[in-house]
Amino acid sequence: MFEITDIQRDYITEILNISMGSAAAVLSEMVGEEVGLSVPEVVFLPRRVAADKFDLNNSAKMSGVTQSVSGAINGDALLMFPEEKTLTIVRILLGDTVPVESLTEMEQEAMCEIGNIILNAIVSSVANLLQKEIVSSLPHFISGTGREIYAINAGCEDDLVMFLKVGFGLESQSINGHVTLMLNVPSLREFIAHLDEQINAL
Amino acid sequence: MHSDSNELGAVTAECLSSDTGGLFGKVLDLSEHGLFLVDSARKIVLWNEWMVQASSMARRNVIGRTFNEVFPELAGTRVASVIETALDKRAASLLSRSLNKSLFPLFSANGGGARKRIEQSVIVKPIECDGRDYCLVQITDVTPMVQREEVLRVLAREAEAAQKAAEEISRFKSEFTSTVSHELRTPLTSIRGSLGLVSSGVMGELPLEVNKLVSIACNNTERLLFLINDILDIDKIESGKMDFVIGPVDLMAVLRQALEANQPYGEQYKIRYVLKQVVAGVVVKADTDRLMQVLNNLLSNAAKFSPEGAEVEISVLQNGAMVRVEVKDSGAGIPLQFQSRIFEKFSQADGSDTRKTGGTGLGLSISKAIMEKMGGGIGFETEEGKGTTFYIDICEAAPA
Repeated sequence: MFEITDIQRDYITEILNISMGSAAAVLSEMVGEEVGLSVPEVVFLPRRVAADKFDLNNSAKMSGVTQSVSGAINGDALLMFPEEKTLTIVRILLGDTVPVESLTEMEQEAMCEIGNIILNAIVSSVANLLQKEIVSSLPHFISGTGREIYAINAGCEDDLVMFLKVGFGLESQSINGHVTLMLNVPSLREFIAHLDEQINAL
Repeated sequence: MHSDSNELGAVTAECLSSDTGGLFGKVLDLSEHGLFLVDSARKIVLWNEWMVQASSMARRNVIGRTFNEVFPELAGTRVASVIETALDKRAASLLSRSLNKSLFPLFSANGGGARKRIEQSVIVKPIECDGRDYCLVQITDVTPMVQREEVLRVLAREAEAAQKAAEEISRFKSEFTSTVSHELRTPLTSIRGSLGLVSSGVMGELPLEVNKLVSIACNNTERLLFLINDILDIDKIESGKMDFVIGPVDLMAVLRQALEANQPYGEQYKIRYVLKQVVAGVVVKADTDRLMQVLNNLLSNAAKFSPEGAEVEISVLQNGAMVRVEVKDSGAGIPLQFQSRIFEKFSQADGSDTRKTGGTGLGLSISKAIMEKMGGGIGFETEEGKGTTFYIDICEAAPA
């Protein structure tokens, strides 16, 4: 298991929260009401463990947004919520809703945009930390169980992922989701080295 | 043709601008999407035919000018900022129609001159070519999708309203049944009391003919009361208002009590109840009164449907974690086509039989609901011409 020190964890969390703040400001302006975003927790886990975190509680479906990233890190960035929470988020943010049980095509597109704003903010803070370029693709809507989404059984279940808890504050509700960044091990080591450099320079 | 073509390599410009007859430019002009390209100096270097039509801005008026010059009204908006992000940070963005109403001032040329604003969904993508950075903006006309969802929204709202109305009607129906039944029961109870007094001779001896008529009236009043009580029970079960007090119950004691209570009824139909098999001292989890109601129903049904002089056999046996009570009659059996409806409300195999056997057709439906509420079940085995065995399964109480 890959461990980071408390100081490293605090530093990453702080940086991510700053970028979450600006993503929240963008979202708030778009929907004309207060949206809160926070990253209360950062851990590094094997894919398998991350998938089980979703599936242990219930094998209910998750849904969310994914973007692929390339450059300094290669892989995928995912923003996941329990399926019914995705519905709640989109419908609170859009206000005008279609009372059907699943997201309509246009609501999925809106969710993609919300995910895009959050994932771009996170990817850009990681790029800043690495002082390298990360190119991110367009967002896609996905849904499935944790194991399906994390492509368990594809032979990569031991790969490490950066697993962030994301708190979404809307109206009087607080909805928890997760952001996962798939990182390869060399870029992970590099990430930690950069982190230490910046912490030491403080 | 364009003085700004030095912004791009000459070859790229050749390729991109259809004005110069480039193949790629011609292909892009056939696209069903609006496409334009912004370079690192924020100047527009590509503007396809779709954009020309929708913006009413000719290529020569756009190419070489900055994004802000072409769309001054979009300065400081999210579109402008995601273009910056694509060029500076290489991040792609999606702008959904739902969260960004009327992004670009673009209009569809609707035949007849009325131009309508195009509903748009926009993607902004960084592109790198020959060491230069560009940002591609692709606009999709989602007007038909917006209209489809508007229709869907209206339909879904209507369906919701219709369901609410149906629930309201159902609630009203149930309230009505319950109220009417209560109102009927009160006068009926007093009619039965009066008729009972008259027929018992308290008010003086009655002529034989009159006595016969009074006792028919008595019996039918009784039947009407049973029917009303059953309807009230069904109503209570369906509205979830029937209370159950579930606790350990001595099954054999309840069964013996039920047999005793049904003895006169059995005599009326000239049948005999025989207890064939017992599980001594067995304790079940049930509501005593409701269990009694179910047993009464099965015992009286068996009496009604058995031929004169027959025996109705009752057995109690262990059935896994459950205890089973069987009531076996030697009646006509249940016809195959009726078997699937036996537990439905107001069902009796032969409508014409109702008068002879005098049931309401609600008893089994109530019994099934009661057994399910108590975590048990009800079922039957039947053979036409030979008879039917109804059984109930009741949860055995854990030994203390």
